[in-house]
Amino acid sequence: MTEPDAHQPQQSPQPGPQAATDPGPEAEGLNIPAGIAALLLPGAGQAVRGEPKRGLLAGVGVLLLFFGGMLIGGIDSIDSKEDRIWFFGQALVGPIAFVVDGVHQNAFKAFDEANPSGPRRSGRPDEHRVRDAAGRPVWAPLTREQIDSGMGPPNVKSVGRINEVGTLFCTIAGMLNLIVFLDALIPPVWRRGAGEAGGGA
Amino acid sequence: MITLAYTPFIDPLPIQSVWYLTLPLLALGVAMAYKAVRVRELSRYPAQVVMFTFQILGGVIALGLLAILVIDILLPLISPMPGA
Repeated sequence: MTEPDAHQPQQSPQPGPQAATDPGPEAEGLNIPAGIAALLLPGAGQAVRGEPKRGLLAGVGVLLLFFGGMLIGGIDSIDSKEDRIWFFGQALVGPIAFVVDGVHQNAFKAFDEANPSGPRRSGRPDEHRVRDAAGRPVWAPLTREQIDSGMGPPNVKSVGRINEVGTLFCTIAGMLNLIVFLDALIPPVWRRGAGEAGGGA
Repeated sequence: MITLAYTPFIDPLPIQSVWYLTLPLLALGVAMAYKAVRVRELSRYPAQVVMFTFQILGGVIALGLLAILVIDILLPLISPMPGA
């Protein structure tokens, strides 16, 4: 699929009045719809631009890292409250990162019974998640019998190297998605209007 | 009732002592995403991904060996620790 000539790179710009004028965002390759699609889903920007295969490969790479990080470090790898700086990088993956973080904060964390006004935290192995009289999730201690029967918090908090590796995977996914987003928004000159064939020179 | 059974994507993998085995997956993911936007012809994509994956692995292993060289060999020569 090819786009109009305005997208084609100029092989040998002609000197004269036209060369001095600003060619505008279209000729520069700026594609706002592709940028918006890229923000919503990794690789979708390339698909909007007419390169679905390239978008699929980029999206699979980014999501492999993101969900690979979750597989290694668990849902605790995405935490906007306890690992805020890392989350800035993870947020670049797009809405998926915010959804996962929202689920983590609201469905897996709870308030400390002894400090109900404090922040939510992950549960310890000897606690389980219950609702208090106000309907807020709080951690309640388990009895020995309950622990022996296998009861515990909804997730195991990741610690040490595994937490570091999982968090790193998800953050690198976000940083790579920034490259993929910029590629969709402003692709390199050699690929403008090239379509699925790759447009290699 | 919620139990402590392992749940993928929710609980961490029990690979604390062999965490370095995750490096090939990291290198592969980086190579897949980066080369998808960098290769000019997608027909060369698989070969480029494989090559870049091994380049990343080689680079990280080289950095690890350099760190061992500096920390375990050079530094003790420059500044011997008492009792070491």
